Amino acid sequence: MIALNGETISIVLFFVGVYGLIARRNIIKSIMSISIMQVAIILYFVSTNVAPGSVPPIGDVNQMLLAADPLPQALMITDIVIGIGVTAAGLTLFIHLYHRFGSTNWQKVMKKRNRHD
Amino acid sequence: MISLHWLILSPLIIGTTAKLMPIKAAKKIMVLFQTALLAAVTMIFVEVRQNGPLLENIGSWPDTIGITLRADLLATAMVFLSCFLFLAMVIFVHNKNYADHLFFFLFLGLESLIIGIFLSNDVFNIFVLIEAATLIITILIMYKQASVSVYDAMMYFLINVVAMSFFLMGLGMLYKKIGVLDFYALEAALSQVNNPASLILPYSFMITAISLKAALMPLFSWLPKAHGTPSAPSVVSVILSGLYVKTGIYVFLRLQTTFAPLIDTSELFVILGFITAVVGFMLALAQTDIKLLLAYSTVSQIGVIMIGISLNNPAAYWGGLYHLMNHAIFKSTLFLTAGMIISEYKTRKISEIHGVYSHMPAVGVATILSILGIIGAPLFNGSISKFLIATGASGSWIESGLILINLGTIIVFMKYGQLLFGHSDKKEAANSDILEKAVVLTLSMLCFLGGIFGSDLIAILFNISLTINPLSYGEKMLLFVGSILLGLLIYRSLFKKRNPLAFIRSFELGFNEICLSITLFFAFMVVYLKITL
Repeated sequence: MIALNGETISIVLFFVGVYGLIARRNIIKSIMSISIMQVAIILYFVSTNVAPGSVPPIGDVNQMLLAADPLPQALMITDIVIGIGVTAAGLTLFIHLYHRFGSTNWQKVMKKRNRHD
Repeated sequence: MISLHWLILSPLIIGTTAKLMPIKAAKKIMVLFQTALLAAVTMIFVEVRQNGPLLENIGSWPDTIGITLRADLLATAMVFLSCFLFLAMVIFVHNKNYADHLFFFLFLGLESLIIGIFLSNDVFNIFVLIEAATLIITILIMYKQASVSVYDAMMYFLINVVAMSFFLMGLGMLYKKIGVLDFYALEAALSQVNNPASLILPYSFMITAISLKAALMPLFSWLPKAHGTPSAPSVVSVILSGLYVKTGIYVFLRLQTTFAPLIDTSELFVILGFITAVVGFMLALAQTDIKLLLAYSTVSQIGVIMIGISLNNPAAYWGGLYHLMNHAIFKSTLFLTAGMIISEYKTRKISEIHGVYSHMPAVGVATILSILGIIGAPLFNGSISKFLIATGASGSWIESGLILINLGTIIVFMKYGQLLFGHSDKKEAANSDILEKAVVLTLSMLCFLGGIFGSDLIAILFNISLTINPLSYGEKMLLFVGSILLGLLIYRSLFKKRNPLAFIRSFELGFNEICLSITLFFAFMVVYLKITL
């Protein structure tokens, strides 16, 4: 029996995102899949090295209490910012792409692009 | 002695503050600044060579806690190469109209990120730098805003983001197991792990992402479109193809050294490198567009470098690294001259360009010298590095494989070289910029000097003395002459009139297929490691 915790859920979520990338032709859905993968990674990191009953590593933690590992949580602040930047840039690029090629389908856009060559 | 973090920060600061000056002054300052940066890197290089690696803990944290910058000989040599290429590019764009404030901001920002990737010792930090570099390169690819390049940029961007998500997932798993993110601390900690099977997943995740960055066999489909896009100025293609792909190889090398005591995949990567090299030159032969041909030839040369650094033999290893440097030099020259030829002839089709040698003599000479470099002609830099790789491979099947790869490269560049000859339709002389000519001629002269002083340069750059046996070198050169004749024969009989490989061009992977190939590569790595460990 695999335990239902943050790590297993995040691995499942990650591959849900990968499935979306492989199986969906829609560009917006591709960008959404990347966001899902990012969320999975964040969930994985924040749930690593957390013992049951530990407290968040913020402020003056009582020495008697067990605090969670602060490093992955600090890393994830950076990754959340990167994730937002990536999604925003991806959507901006998509708007430009849509204006020029008039489609949200990867296949159709690729065909139109190759006609330019 | 300037500290290492200034190498990373100063291009960014200069690139931002240049906005305050008029563009003409800004361009002059760029050249001065790049020269100063090159001088500073040279000083650091001398220091590293005399006293060993420099370490700098950012934020004055104790070792392995915070981010560490580490300048060892290889990293410093790579930084030196980057600064040199960026200096050449800044001089090259001095009289170009497209080089405005925004361009310099992005360009110098990319420089600081590349230097950061080479110097950083922290895996998460490398992830952040690569992610930021992806964003900057995406904008640079579509800098001239041609319609087609939006698609190229979008593909480049999303595929690299997907790959780096794999990297980060692997990093998370690695951190959970080991608890450090510093390369050298990881190396020390991994040698204590006694169950390598527990590291299969993190290793597979990370190596998949880095193989994509280094453009290995199933994962290179994003590269040619990005490097050969019509919209990118040729200096951008140079930095992408000459330098940025090398960051992938560099991180690959660091990762392999870190995992080496537990997971040894060098044989697999020799085979993958070989396949990459062969597929690369086949695809290059199929192209009609000069920039795409050069981009696919980059894929092929990456395969050669990969073979060199994965062979577990000192001669091949240093030969591979020297080939990495050489490739940066001759591919830069080729991309720059291709850009000049395109802007002169207003076409990108190889078959429509004739008589470059008589019409643009300086460009012609530079092209010839760099072609001689890339095909490994005697006395040119390519011959030294290819010779070293072949020495390291002697006795195995890969030695004959290398001859085949070189034959392929020769045929590709015979096809490319056709644009030099013939009669140009243009009457009036080409008015290329004097600075552009100076840059391409200097770079192409380096191809020659790198061959003459090959072993001395290796001794200076990597502090390793490799003697080149004149007898076996002569033997290789006879083999080279044989390959030339065979290549000429094959070219004349098969490729002169028509292109039997043209059908390959119709196979193009879309976004979903590339994501599928990333996933399959990952699954293959997991299965391969499960079986071999």
